Amino acid sequence: MKFGKQLAALISVAAFAVALGTAGGAKADAMADAEALIKSHQTLPDFKAPGPAFDAKACMKDKKILEIPLTMANPFNAEIAKAMAAAAAEVGFEFKNWDNQLKVDQWVQGMAAAIAGGYNLIDLQGGIPPAALGPQIDEARGKGLKVTTTHLYDVTQDIPPNLDGSARMNYTRAGQLMAAWAFTKTGGKPNVVIIGSDEIVPTAPFVKSIQDTLKGYCPDCKQQHVNVPVTEWATKIQTSVQSALVADPSINFILPIYDSMSQFIVPALRITNRLGEVKIATYNGTPFVLDMVRTGEVDMDVGESLGWIGYAGIDVNMRILCDIKPAVTTLNTPLYIFDKSNIKTAGEPATFHDGYGDSHLKGFRKLWGLK
Amino acid sequence: MIERRLAEVEGQRRAVRAKRSRAVGQRTIAGEMERFGLIGAWIIVVIVLGAVVPDAFLSWLNFSTIFSSQAVLVVLTLGLLITLTAGDFDLSVASTLTLSAMTLTVLNAQHGWGVIPSVAVALGCGVLIGAINGAIVLFFRIHSLIVTLGVGTFINGIILWISDSQTIAGVSFDLVSWVIVNRFPPGGGISLTFYYAVFLCLAIWYCFEYTTIGRRLLFVGRGREVARLSGIRVDRVRLGSFVVGSTIAAGAGVLYAGMTGSADPTSGLSLLLPAFAAAFLGATSIVPGRFNPWGSFIGVYFLVTGITGLTMLGVNTLVQNLFYGGGLVVAVTLSQLVRKRQPQSIS
Repeated sequence: MKFGKQLAALISVAAFAVALGTAGGAKADAMADAEALIKSHQTLPDFKAPGPAFDAKACMKDKKILEIPLTMANPFNAEIAKAMAAAAAEVGFEFKNWDNQLKVDQWVQGMAAAIAGGYNLIDLQGGIPPAALGPQIDEARGKGLKVTTTHLYDVTQDIPPNLDGSARMNYTRAGQLMAAWAFTKTGGKPNVVIIGSDEIVPTAPFVKSIQDTLKGYCPDCKQQHVNVPVTEWATKIQTSVQSALVADPSINFILPIYDSMSQFIVPALRITNRLGEVKIATYNGTPFVLDMVRTGEVDMDVGESLGWIGYAGIDVNMRILCDIKPAVTTLNTPLYIFDKSNIKTAGEPATFHDGYGDSHLKGFRKLWGLK
Repeated sequence: MIERRLAEVEGQRRAVRAKRSRAVGQRTIAGEMERFGLIGAWIIVVIVLGAVVPDAFLSWLNFSTIFSSQAVLVVLTLGLLITLTAGDFDLSVASTLTLSAMTLTVLNAQHGWGVIPSVAVALGCGVLIGAINGAIVLFFRIHSLIVTLGVGTFINGIILWISDSQTIAGVSFDLVSWVIVNRFPPGGGISLTFYYAVFLCLAIWYCFEYTTIGRRLLFVGRGREVARLSGIRVDRVRLGSFVVGSTIAAGAGVLYAGMTGSADPTSGLSLLLPAFAAAFLGATSIVPGRFNPWGSFIGVYFLVTGITGLTMLGVNTLVQNLFYGGGLVVAVTLSQLVRKRQPQSIS
């Protein structure tokens, strides 16, 4: 009898130790790693020079840049374009934004205008896939123009050989943050639905980053990936999320990789009576989604300062034109986590710029020898 | 006089139909198969998916979710039906929906207007757009396809202007509650938005079947010259159909804003093709050969039931598109086979 009690106690202690050690399939140090990663992106962003300082005013004298945004109908692209124009004005070189409405023929016209106008560099900003402009890029480069992209590729993606450079974004880190958030907020037991749009260039590494990070934290945790093309967000995201929630009631986090998807996820949570119970963590820092963080409909949004992206994009392009070595291929724009604890800093209603501070302005001016 | 003439014509048609049915017994069975084929297909889809994923698919939560989530598309399709029945195309319905949702959201969330005045202005946008569409089509004698395409594109520009190209959140929770949060029966029932769609279906069905204006609309759609010679004021009926259709589309916009709690400048536009698909799919059942509200209602839910099941099975989004497009083509084709490939004359 005594032996039986001892055996039972031993088994209980062993079971408790196993439970503590695995925390629902999670590694013991995974929680600490995830929390540390999150914490490192909750402090106000500080400027870190992407490369050596240079005299921008001198080397950009007589040089011109034409930038083609994905579409000026998207405030994301429009705000980056504005910031790029402001940075160019500070340095004092000619900069032109090619206004368009997401039409390939307008992009082609922009490329032709850059060649005819004697520009030195064409920057495809915020989503234009270079594959859509292959012949035009070849023609421009054949005539001595440089062609680059800003905020298109992930840091893990190679820059295509028909480009002279690229200011890549750290989508991989954004994915790690989203995975870490879901992991920590569920006590190490995330069951997530990742929603992406595979036709967007950086989606694949972004989604892979979330998947790999979650697998690293807890190999047994459940995750599923749903692909919804951008043109079908309004008709497919809601039904996809609803179906997933009905099929698996243990889902506790939805991870839309672009935060504008959230507006179609919230109704799905309401209809299935899971709003508040199932959380949303996402990326982009779009103002209306930050407003949804304030109201509690979205749990977390990884934001990025569009003003900073604009200045960083100009920095990369100037380095290419001025042949500054080593080449910079990544935007130094930090990722900053917004949740209920700091959402007030994003403004009410939220804006694209509030909450990030303005250390980038001082930093870039000093880097470029302006002040 | 007109009513008597309409009643006579309809009576003659019924008599001819009855005579044909008596003459060929099999045609009656075929006709019934055609009328209820879509419902049969819907039941088969439910049975098959229920057998494959019984726990999730056959749950009440799943069906309440399906019914609650598609009311916007049903209402938009009903708006489209009005103009289609009158023989016109309105390609601006999705733009009207989006403008209505955006106007409501801007007024309510950004300018602090109450829900009721915001909804009234949003519906007023629908009335205005319908009147503009109808006036241009009728006064200048331009095909409705061209006019509504142009007006729709123009509206898209206005939407970008008033929204500053941004998605706007913060619609009053009162509206959200009256669209999807409140349910009947309370607790685990279906969101109220579903019942709004059902009531609208009932109203349009009653109007089409039992009112003079509904009959006039149908006659105008079937043959404008015949209707004109019968004494119907064709232009007035067509103008009315544009106004009513656009107002219903604006109502769909109100539901859309209430559903998402926000409005964005482009997403609502993607509902145009699904609405047309539902309208044409609906024209193959209940009252075959005629756009009808219950047929469209069933069409919408048939498609979404299939897509929900496929999503639960974890199939790729592309398979959903295959089901959506394939379902439409197969249903229309089967309907034609049942009708022994008679030439289509849908209105």
